[in-house]
Amino acid sequence: MMRAAADCGHAAVDLQPPGDCGARAVAGFRVALGSRSIVMTNDLEYENVVMEFRGRGATVRALDTFNFHVAESEFVVVVGPSGCGKSTLLHMTAGLMHPTAGRVMLGGSIITDPGPDKAIVFQNFSLFPWKSVRSNIDFGLRINGMPPAERNELIDRYIKLIGLDGFENHYPRQLSGGMQQRVAIARSFVMRPRVLLMDEPFAALDAQNRQLMQEELVRIWSAQRPTVMFITHSVEEAVFLADRIVVISRRPGRVKKVLDVTAVAGASHWRMDPFEDVIRRPDFQELRAEIWGLVKSEIQLRS
Amino acid sequence: MGRQQLQRTFYGLVSIGGIIALWVYLTGSGRVTPIILPPPADVLEGAIDIYRGYLSVPWYEHFRASLVVMLTGYFSAIAVGVPIGVAIAWWRPLEVVLSPLLAVLRPIPPPAWIPLAILWFGIGLAGKAFIVFVAAVVPCIMNSYLAIKETPQELLVSARTLGASQRTLLFEVALPSGLPAIMTGLRIALGTSWATIVAAELVVSLAGFGFLIMNGYRNLESQIVMVGMIAVAVIGFLMNWAFLLIERRLVPWRETDD
Ligand SMILES: Nc1ncnc2c1ncn2[C@@H]1O[C@H](COP(=O)(O)OP(=O)(O)OP(=O)(O)O)[C@@H](O)[C@H]1O
Ligand SMILES: [Mg+2]
Repeated sequence: MMRAAADCGHAAVDLQPPGDCGARAVAGFRVALGSRSIVMTNDLEYENVVMEFRGRGATVRALDTFNFHVAESEFVVVVGPSGCGKSTLLHMTAGLMHPTAGRVMLGGSIITDPGPDKAIVFQNFSLFPWKSVRSNIDFGLRINGMPPAERNELIDRYIKLIGLDGFENHYPRQLSGGMQQRVAIARSFVMRPRVLLMDEPFAALDAQNRQLMQEELVRIWSAQRPTVMFITHSVEEAVFLADRIVVISRRPGRVKKVLDVTAVAGASHWRMDPFEDVIRRPDFQELRAEIWGLVKSEIQLRS
Repeated sequence: MGRQQLQRTFYGLVSIGGIIALWVYLTGSGRVTPIILPPPADVLEGAIDIYRGYLSVPWYEHFRASLVVMLTGYFSAIAVGVPIGVAIAWWRPLEVVLSPLLAVLRPIPPPAWIPLAILWFGIGLAGKAFIVFVAAVVPCIMNSYLAIKETPQELLVSARTLGASQRTLLFEVALPSGLPAIMTGLRIALGTSWATIVAAELVVSLAGFGFLIMNGYRNLESQIVMVGMIAVAVIGFLMNWAFLLIERRLVPWRETDD
């Protein structure tokens, strides 16, 4: 049953046949609002993924036989030295790039195109500066043909969820960095994506805002539970948020080690607790040190 | 209006006032002959002459002649230039075909087109509007082209991941993102149009500010020349100012203070 459903999802992404699976996005909404898990799985499969960039003369191999599996609704954090191919990995998962070899699959179907089922949040927010907060969140819904009444209701809900009521009609430049990133996150979540891809989303924020945003992300994510691939340079952030952490080796990137955080973080996971409490736990610090050691060894090997 | 803006207005008035004072001083002291630089009183007389129908042309004819020609050329330049600039920025094949042509045509200064324009379109509205068009279309194309080319990549990527089609990317991302730069192009084109029509009227015209300047020169009536120049300056300034007001309306997200 799962297989058939997955094929259907693939066809919708590939060809968008009218009627068949419904227009992709509308199907996405219906499915999401109904019982998504029956229709398709949202796991990610990386199978011998190789990514090379051909420049003038030299070819850069960014990723090399990368193998990994992310379960549905799992929160995976990716860490590794700069230039090891983390962003590349995310772009491939979003369908913005295609691997030189190997396969990247969502719910058993090869990812071919970008689309609203694969939301991406960048470090620099990437809001449309000419649109208000409201219209920014509305953009994806509107271009995918959702009726206005439904859209308005959803937008209201998400604006409240990110605590920006009263700022609906502000332009992005009138907001702080943290507020802008909240809007970007709402713009992604409102699409009910199957996977959420985040590339150092909080790197541009100060420490306080960063901590607030981490907790807020957990709150929003828990309500919807899309599969998450989250990139960060902050080992603390990784240990706090992740179900599992993938450490990638220096370029060409491969899986160096996978660490299971849930085994340590307890049944309800420590990300549900305040950050400042969690960070004081010895088991948290132990894990943090272990991961930092792994990343550091990769950075030092370089020089 | 903030304190800073008041200050700028003040200094602006001071510098213009200074020039006028120098003008009054130089002409009043008798050091320059009126033919080289007519005193303010003569210029006022010149203005009255023009108002009464200098060379039997009613005063409003100068406004009408210059403005009609300019606006015709300017708006045709927008209508043609902006779509071309946007199109070559968006469709690579078009860029490959058209940009060498533009690169070759661009260095020809607009006044150099005057003889051909007259041969092709005559000395009436069409001929002069064509010269304005040639001058104004360049900033329209160039700025629209750059505006679209410089659409931030991450905005296009974000829109694509939200499910935008190519059409949506162009009309709802690239165009609004480039609107401020396109507007700048239109404003530059406005100034260029105005300068060009005056230049064209120097060569061929029966009315207009270029006509006034040229005939004042031929008849050794420097005060008429001065009136023509001052009118050109004031009208040019007002047009630019009006454009800035419209621009602020159209691009509200650009405002710096709330
Ligand atoms: N479009 C591209 N063209 C050519 N080379 C690229 C391109 N994108 C990435 N690369 C190269 O691939 C390698 C991996 O880049 P990537 O951006 O994925 O690294 P990263 O792990 O995200 O680094 P950082 O932590 O600094 O963001 C780098 O060496 C980079 O120079
Ligand atoms: Mg990166």
